[in-house]
Amino acid sequence: MKVMYIHSASAFIGEANAEVNTLKEAIRRYTRESFRRGNRFILLSLLGALRCVHRHSLEPNTAVYLTTEHGNLGDTVTVLDEIYAAHSLPKPYGFINTMSNTAAFYLAQNLGIRGRNITVSSQQVSFERGLELLKADLATGAEANALIGGVDEASLNGFVSEGQNHHGWRMVDGSSWFYVKSEREGACGAFRENRSFRDGHACRRWIGEAERPPTDILSFGSLIGDEEASGWREALRPVAEFDYLGEYGYSGSAAACGVGLFMDRFRGRTLLHINKDPRGHYSVLEVERYSDLRCE
Amino acid sequence: MSGRAFITGKALVCSLGDSLEEIVGAVRRKRIKLEQLPFTLAGLPYTRPYYLIMRNESDQLDNRSDAYFYEILFSTVARSLADAGVSGAEIREMPVFLGSTSMDVPVFEGNHSKVPSTVSGMFLQSSDGYGKIAGAVSARFGMEGGCYSFTTACTSSANALLYAAAMIKQRQIERALVVGYDLFNNLGFYGFEGLKSLAASHYRPFDRSRDGLILGEACGAVVLEGKPRAAGDFECLGGANLCDTYSVTSHDEEGVAVAETMHRALGQAGVDPGDIRAVKAHATGTDNNDRTECAAMKTAFDSHIPPVTCIKPFIGHTVGACGVAELVVFTESVKRGFIPSTPGFRDIDEQLNLKPLTENGEAGEGFFMLNYFGFGGNCTTLILSNGRRTG
Repeated sequence: MKVMYIHSASAFIGEANAEVNTLKEAIRRYTRESFRRGNRFILLSLLGALRCVHRHSLEPNTAVYLTTEHGNLGDTVTVLDEIYAAHSLPKPYGFINTMSNTAAFYLAQNLGIRGRNITVSSQQVSFERGLELLKADLATGAEANALIGGVDEASLNGFVSEGQNHHGWRMVDGSSWFYVKSEREGACGAFRENRSFRDGHACRRWIGEAERPPTDILSFGSLIGDEEASGWREALRPVAEFDYLGEYGYSGSAAACGVGLFMDRFRGRTLLHINKDPRGHYSVLEVERYSDLRCE
Repeated sequence: MSGRAFITGKALVCSLGDSLEEIVGAVRRKRIKLEQLPFTLAGLPYTRPYYLIMRNESDQLDNRSDAYFYEILFSTVARSLADAGVSGAEIREMPVFLGSTSMDVPVFEGNHSKVPSTVSGMFLQSSDGYGKIAGAVSARFGMEGGCYSFTTACTSSANALLYAAAMIKQRQIERALVVGYDLFNNLGFYGFEGLKSLAASHYRPFDRSRDGLILGEACGAVVLEGKPRAAGDFECLGGANLCDTYSVTSHDEEGVAVAETMHRALGQAGVDPGDIRAVKAHATGTDNNDRTECAAMKTAFDSHIPPVTCIKPFIGHTVGACGVAELVVFTESVKRGFIPSTPGFRDIDEQLNLKPLTENGEAGEGFFMLNYFGFGGNCTTLILSNGRRTG
């Protein structure tokens, strides 16, 4: 794949069900706008993205790729309750905000950018699919600069008890963003590879055959089980493993958050992230964090 | 980007039926089928029209559940694959690009009367995310390509088409299934009424007496491939997507961003504005959309606007599905020799000074522009051709 250069990155992990006002307060560090009508999903998107680019001056043509597993949950629940429980018509902005792309809109509006504005999802590999769309747009020249992020509210699906899911991971809000350009100058890292495979065998074969330096940091998506992870560890013998799910918790956008956290913590290293969707298809993301520049 | 992308298979189920002959026949004869739906849950003393799928007893709203939702989806996809004539091996390689506004909300609403839980409770506890529907298609048909679920409001499946075509042209993939799917759901029906966007009785885009949109439901599926399979297969030459940051609910009425989207789409497709034979307008019938779109067309075409057709008066505003659904109605009509008229149009709005086709136009070969806009400032334009370009 043609390398996509990361010019800044951020990862925000928030406690599930934290007050929306705390998100608004955090956003105020980056913008004077109040986002009075912003729901949790919109505010999470804004907070993560504004943290990512607050030191950068963006081109008007910058695109936005918002990837998400569940999109807006809170306003959808509210609107369904207005209809089915309160027996009323939904409030206008509540209804509009059930459409998750409104988060990408508010981001574009706040930053004054009007490039492509896409919201996309794909079970457990939403971020990787979003990168594929971005790659297609960079290849055609439709876009040269983009913000791509993964955002999800803590979901109750899979919730077992005390804020944990059945893996024992804490359920959290997550919003992780990357400012990506086709040019390298000034970059703090790069998405070097983003490959998909129809099964683990094809994935292992590609990793085995690809010519690359030994793996620095290895991380896994949420559907890679312990036994399988141990097989990958044995085969790849990484310098270290980054258990971002265990350390920071799970959201639908955990993969994007894991990569964002890697950019923050592992200067001068390369990450190999192995992910799997419910069909048993694999995605491998290779990310490099350059050693010399700040990444925010 | 040296490859090409052709629409080789298509299928649609909508208020006009589930066979293309039936649907295009109705469009040719300007026949529409509208139902009146009450707002029972909110106890409102009036109804609003809706373009419902009504083929038989199973389509009744009270009879719907998750089985119905997936039967509509799978049968439409199966017909599009059969129409393209793709082999089992070719199907196996296919990725799925799906666009929808409501995603699986109709499933939760349909199931709620059958289980002791609230709709919102079911949604929170068991939502598997936006990717579930495309994943189900992939599993049902053994498709092993990637799944991409677009949710960009009313441009959702138009954007799915845009990216599927781009990836085929870049030879990242050989072919793709693109689905636009939105079934009736109370969230949308009550939500648009809450916005006061629903028309009281007639659908009249661009008309002086237009008073809003009428919702519809549809499932459309197309197969895109790098080579045509039959003479007359439409080619997707390209397109563009931009964000109009004017407002989350409405576009800038001067149409600057919308015109820029049209302009970029034309540039990306390598087509001059003067070569566009007809425009399929988004034409929701709301005051803002029609004002914006009209202003944008005047800018993009330097006031020489080609013949304009509006598909929504035939099948309703099918929200996220309209990208694929309206493309199928439009291209199949052109294949059969006509550009659809706009039923219901009566009086020119002097401020817009635009009269869409009121009788079926002659189609022929050429380049066509299809426009789609949505909440969140989303603007998408596609440029299609029916066989004039070679090499």
